[in-house]
Amino acid sequence: MSAAQDTVVEGCAAAPIGPSYREPDEKPQATVSGKIKFDTVHVLPQTPQLIALLTIIRDQNTQRGDFIFYSNRIIRLLVEEGLNHLPVKEHEVTTPLGRTYAGVRFEGKICGVSIMRAGESMEQGLRDCCRSVRIGKILIQRDEETAQPKLFYHKLPNDIAERWVLLLDPMNATGGSASMAVEVLKSKGVAEERILFLNLIASPEGLEHFASKFPKLRVITAFIDEGLDDKNYIVPGLGDFGDRHFGTLND
Amino acid sequence: MLESLKYIYSPPWHDTHIIGIAGSSGSGKTSVAARLVKQLNLPWVVVLSMDSFYKELNPAQSKLAFENNYDFDSPDAIDFDILVDRLQDLKAGRKAEIPVYSFEKHQREPEKSTTIYSCHVLILEGIFALYDPRVLELLDMKIFVDTDSDICLARRLARDVKSRGRDVRGALQQWHRFVKPNFELYVRPQMKNADIAIPRGIDNTTAINMVVKHIQRALNAKSEAHLKKIAELGERVLEKPLTDNVTILEQTPQLRGIHTILQDRMTSREDFIFYFDRLASLLVEKAMDRMTFTVQEIQTPQNRPYVGLRCASAICGVVILRSGGVFEVGLKRVVPDCKIGRLLLQSNMRTGEPELHHLKVPPNLGKHQVLLLDPQIASGAAALMAVRVLKDHGVEEKDIVFLTYMATKVGLGRLNAVFPEMKIVAAGLEQGWAARWIDEKYFGC
Repeated sequence: MSAAQDTVVEGCAAAPIGPSYREPDEKPQATVSGKIKFDTVHVLPQTPQLIALLTIIRDQNTQRGDFIFYSNRIIRLLVEEGLNHLPVKEHEVTTPLGRTYAGVRFEGKICGVSIMRAGESMEQGLRDCCRSVRIGKILIQRDEETAQPKLFYHKLPNDIAERWVLLLDPMNATGGSASMAVEVLKSKGVAEERILFLNLIASPEGLEHFASKFPKLRVITAFIDEGLDDKNYIVPGLGDFGDRHFGTLND
Repeated sequence: MLESLKYIYSPPWHDTHIIGIAGSSGSGKTSVAARLVKQLNLPWVVVLSMDSFYKELNPAQSKLAFENNYDFDSPDAIDFDILVDRLQDLKAGRKAEIPVYSFEKHQREPEKSTTIYSCHVLILEGIFALYDPRVLELLDMKIFVDTDSDICLARRLARDVKSRGRDVRGALQQWHRFVKPNFELYVRPQMKNADIAIPRGIDNTTAINMVVKHIQRALNAKSEAHLKKIAELGERVLEKPLTDNVTILEQTPQLRGIHTILQDRMTSREDFIFYFDRLASLLVEKAMDRMTFTVQEIQTPQNRPYVGLRCASAICGVVILRSGGVFEVGLKRVVPDCKIGRLLLQSNMRTGEPELHHLKVPPNLGKHQVLLLDPQIASGAAALMAVRVLKDHGVEEKDIVFLTYMATKVGLGRLNAVFPEMKIVAAGLEQGWAARWIDEKYFGC
């Protein structure tokens, strides 16, 4: 906790939100993401629209259909931001009107890796942006005896060492499972700087732990929340993402 | 104030050309109007019958009407105040709601009206079309159909007996009691107000052809003036910097990569559609950031409060067809239950002037924040027209976000100068003028 506090530049707090052309008193006040002292951590711009999406998926009264739809919209934004960290190469083409257009071409192969089960809920958003992307899986669960994360299963593309990896997990609470997943990827030969970790909501503690452990790995998140409760749930958070997405809550 | 006065856009239906056609009952006014419409052959020539403007009757008058004893052929039966009001709206290029009159009930249909909007030529037809001085003031051409009264009577009798279920005696009685005296007293004297009298009505093809030629000349002159004004506007906005209300997406590596795929003529349609839809979703997300939001406090499943936001009002997409249709998949990915209005604008092959062919929007459009969709802005003429249409349907300028894929600097400048409160989001800047091609590639034709 103390280490985290050193790296948190600003906790999440109320702020006027809106585009630059609006007068300050025209901007509604809402809670925006905290800021953290790591260059490798990228927080999505706190636009009114993003805050409205987060408001819907955080709301305990939001029904499952809406939860899936609106979280998917945020996930697409995360994926689009993540893809921007991939390399491109100059590429010139001729347009349908016969003109020359100096553009770029995507370089480097990618794949997705979802941390089961919540990470799998992000696969649709990834496919919306990258049609036939390969997706590997890693199953990590909390060992009931030790209360530590434990690796149960993984299935990854054979050539993963040559690929950029988009690692998917919607909630980064303690950073424990994500760290273990990164260790698995590194053991398969994936370079740390070629891993992009996409998640919706992170705790400052989890991010601090993760970012200092993997200094070259980039994290893209939509929101850095207040912190963790005594059960290591992110607060205010949005509950258990997997349960809300897959509908496995007790009614 | 002076600054904004300099940048004004008037749609081509502003200063509507209004033609009044008066004449005796049975003189063939309706047929002449129909012939004019047919010969002009333009979708924005509209006939307005003065029958829609009969006054509402009080119970005593209503009783007389049902007994065939009410004088519908006197100018007193017409509600000239409402007529003048609606003609003024149309003349100014605004939307006008025309009452619907029921001859069965001798009342206006409550809650019912016909909307007339964006007509370039309006033909006002009725026995008293040239009667009220306020109406005369608004008319660009005044026609009196001067048909021999024997023929008028014969036509009137045939019509009353055949389609209005009256007997010959009753119809003759009506003629002698009301129609004939009123004609002498009020209808015929209107001839002195007319620019042209057309003897023999519909049979007088020479006169009708002259009228048609005259209207066509007037329309061409208006069209030229409209295009000239837009051109002038373009020259003046070039020195004016775009304001904060215009957003060009940041040209990130991914976006440049998508642009390259879309711009490449070798890209298959399958790939084009996939990448265009992907970009469209991103653009709509960006546009949603330009909407107005209000504070919304909620409880998370952990029973913690979170102070967030929600959109201040419902979103309605308005697609400028055909090109704007390419954004519909992206729009539905972001706002799946979005209401969608449509308007079809086509550029005139000869003059390049945009023409409004079709318009269908939700009735309470003004209560929405509107996303206006068109993938290309070249001169901005079509876009200017579309925004004007939205404003005429009650949408506030600040509640409009215009979404486009590629826009020219001059097109953006025109829109930004004329509608400074409106937001514009574009994926990129087009270097110089470009023909429309995106919809062709997307739809494959």
